Amino acid sequence: MSLMPRRKSGPPVTGVDKNAFSYRAFRDLKLNKYIYVMLVPVIAYYVVFLYGPMYGLQIAFKDYSAGAGMWNSPWVGFKHFESFFESYYFWRLLRNTVLLSLYELVFAFPASIILALLLNELRSNRFKRTVQTVTYMPHFISIVVISGMLVDFLSRDGLINNVIAMFGFERTAFLGEAGWFRSIYISSNIWQSVGWGSIIYLSAMSSIDPSLYEAARVDGANRWKQTLHVTIPGIMPTIVILLILQIGSFMTVGTEKILLLYNPTTYETADVIGTFLYRKGILEADYSYSAAVGLFNSVINFALLVLANAASKKSGNNLW
Amino acid sequence: MGMNNWKTLSRTSVGIMITALLVVGCNTSSTAPEEPADGNAGTGAAEQTNEKAPEAAEEVGYPDEITYWVQLNANVAATMKDYGEIAAYKKVAELTGTKVTFQHPPVGQEKDQFNLMIASGELPDVIEYPWAAAPKGADSLIKEGRILRLNELIAEHAPNLTKILDENPDYRKMVTTDEGNIYVMPFIMGDPSLSVVHGPIVREDWLKKLGLEQPTTIAEWEAMLTAFRDGDPNGNGQKDEIPFLFNINDIDLDHLFVGAWGITQDFYQENGTVKYGPIQPEFKEYLATLAKWYKDGLIDPDFATTDGKLKDAKVTGNQLGAFTGYPGSSIGRYIDLMKENPEFSLVGPVYPALEEGGYAMGNYSYPFSGIGAAVSATADNPEQIVKWLDYKYSEEGHFLFNFGIEGESYTMVDGYPTYTDVILKNPDGLPITQAMAKYFTANWSGPFIQDKRYMEQYYQLDQQKQANQNWSQADHSKHLPPLTLTADESSKTASIMNDVKTYRDEMINRFIMGAEPIDNFDKFVSTIENMGIQEAIAARQAALERYNARK
Repeated sequence: MSLMPRRKSGPPVTGVDKNAFSYRAFRDLKLNKYIYVMLVPVIAYYVVFLYGPMYGLQIAFKDYSAGAGMWNSPWVGFKHFESFFESYYFWRLLRNTVLLSLYELVFAFPASIILALLLNELRSNRFKRTVQTVTYMPHFISIVVISGMLVDFLSRDGLINNVIAMFGFERTAFLGEAGWFRSIYISSNIWQSVGWGSIIYLSAMSSIDPSLYEAARVDGANRWKQTLHVTIPGIMPTIVILLILQIGSFMTVGTEKILLLYNPTTYETADVIGTFLYRKGILEADYSYSAAVGLFNSVINFALLVLANAASKKSGNNLW
Repeated sequence: MGMNNWKTLSRTSVGIMITALLVVGCNTSSTAPEEPADGNAGTGAAEQTNEKAPEAAEEVGYPDEITYWVQLNANVAATMKDYGEIAAYKKVAELTGTKVTFQHPPVGQEKDQFNLMIASGELPDVIEYPWAAAPKGADSLIKEGRILRLNELIAEHAPNLTKILDENPDYRKMVTTDEGNIYVMPFIMGDPSLSVVHGPIVREDWLKKLGLEQPTTIAEWEAMLTAFRDGDPNGNGQKDEIPFLFNINDIDLDHLFVGAWGITQDFYQENGTVKYGPIQPEFKEYLATLAKWYKDGLIDPDFATTDGKLKDAKVTGNQLGAFTGYPGSSIGRYIDLMKENPEFSLVGPVYPALEEGGYAMGNYSYPFSGIGAAVSATADNPEQIVKWLDYKYSEEGHFLFNFGIEGESYTMVDGYPTYTDVILKNPDGLPITQAMAKYFTANWSGPFIQDKRYMEQYYQLDQQKQANQNWSQADHSKHLPPLTLTADESSKTASIMNDVKTYRDEMINRFIMGAEPIDNFDKFVSTIENMGIQEAIAARQAALERYNARK
């Protein structure tokens, strides 16, 4: 470093600027080289498996032909996007996707918060643990098995219909009626995820300073008021962050589960962009078209994520 | 110093990383390349066993190794891991010295896996598939460099298949595309009796109990189903009978009921003109009839969600009166499953017409329906592979794949290959289909000529033979031959047909279930028209004309 040649004019350069980013970065690299080496696999993973495949997105703007390959297929501009927007099913797919996500947000998202708040009020530790175990168990069952159970429970001579018939009501083919699909989808999602989702809120609650509760009690707050003014504000940052994450995947409703549960009779309410993509892309091998539809979906997700984050800045709980 | 160490370390680690990634990335594609097959071990063995091969083929031996992609048939999956365990394939391996590595896609994902495989370009040497279901026509797959045109290879290295195609110009016409390509070593049904395999099935004991004849018209079907509903034929004092299980995919296959109106749920031809059934006025009457049946409780209200497992439960639970199915896996299997109930019996009535002696369409497939083994364009030694595949069309190969091993699975009785008890009364208690699958592939398909003597013995029960005869009485003149669409036609109309089929399936269900009033039929037709059905019809019309013009 000291071998830097002195210049003829101008202020003398005495050395490098120790505050420059490049200097600091280099120094840090030298000091912590082994730690940086450990970073390499992670970066490589992202490059190879997450950024690398993105070059395939170009086929959304091409007429992909397997023989010509990714690079040599002809460019067609926005043709596939246009034909999707003009498609007979466009509005229905959009409506179903948005509605299922919205219902998920409105009903399933608060469900685990409510469960956590309720569990928090329980005095018997044993009962609390039992409830927790029972509610988070379904999270560990594979989606295929869950769907199989749903089909069995909901069929005309299944468990649920048997109960209904016991009380003298008509049996209903739940999975064969479009009107039932959303309720079944959302309520089974709640069943599956409510216990697991509540764990993070419970842990957030356990880190709330007990003195806050004491102070509230001294001020005469009952259990309900304590919940309202201490517990909920205490877990608010967690709620907001999870909400932002949830919104970031707003357009990505559980395609696998819908595929396992739907049939032509329930397309009306069950067919979402993801399942349409599957039929079009995988079954009909229309790769360019489905890449375009998938890209459209991701762009909306991305925009919603940015919006949600911006909105949450006001509460000071934003992600970035 | 420290600097140098760091460099070395970082280079090494990056090097390791890259190597690791390359290995991971490539190991799927780099398994195949083998040295070209001259003077390998397999050749000598091959020439000894196949002296009859003509001179041109003698320089070419059998391949050392082949990778072979094929759907795993359920009868095989029941007792074995892959096709390599089937006795016929073991014998072929012994005779040719070729080591075959079978690749089977996960059951239920065959179509996805096939499409992905074609798109990725990482192909095994041989791909056996129902090619009519391939998203683009065979001609375009040849153009795109996915599979090989086999005409010349067959002419030079497949003397057995060449002989068969020369003797049966009909077969040659069917297996050749419009552009003159032969793209597979075909599966061919060697007798007209093999072409009808699916149809309506009714509980024979229920008919007897209620004093009914086998129905022959739509009206008689309605009377029979009503009697099933009201007459308590299963005798448990409860009104729990399900008269008929409607299955939209089965109807696509056999045109039950809809065929009585002279149309189908899909494309068909009338004197050389291609038509699409759901937009015909007759389709409205068909839907109205089924909607009435549904409303009257004659059709299983759960039909939209009933899968194979539930269907089995309904049949064996003594609930279901009529359904659609195959002689083997339905009639034979159910009767076998219900052995403890000696009364239980099924019958396959004739396809019903609108009135006595009227028109009835039924299940039928052309001798070649698109199933066959293609050789991928990336295979190193296509001549050897074609020669290897051709073995199945030889006299010995034919017996091997239709009857198995002589002395084990069959014996020659007066020149007739007769299955032994290993097949017909399996000592391990296997059902006949699974016992067959242990030895050969005649009870589904493969690149060989199916022998009718297989079928004659496969249908052990009178009910099965009767069903085959009854179903064969239907009219087969409106079925479309195996058409080949051009790349342009298929890419344009695939998208249209995807929309139309989604809509059609949904609306047929809705009309039948009464969720959509029949009065909306005109709207249904005009929606399909707007989706571009005429273009799809025109493409098939052109393809039919090209087919008819083939020599």
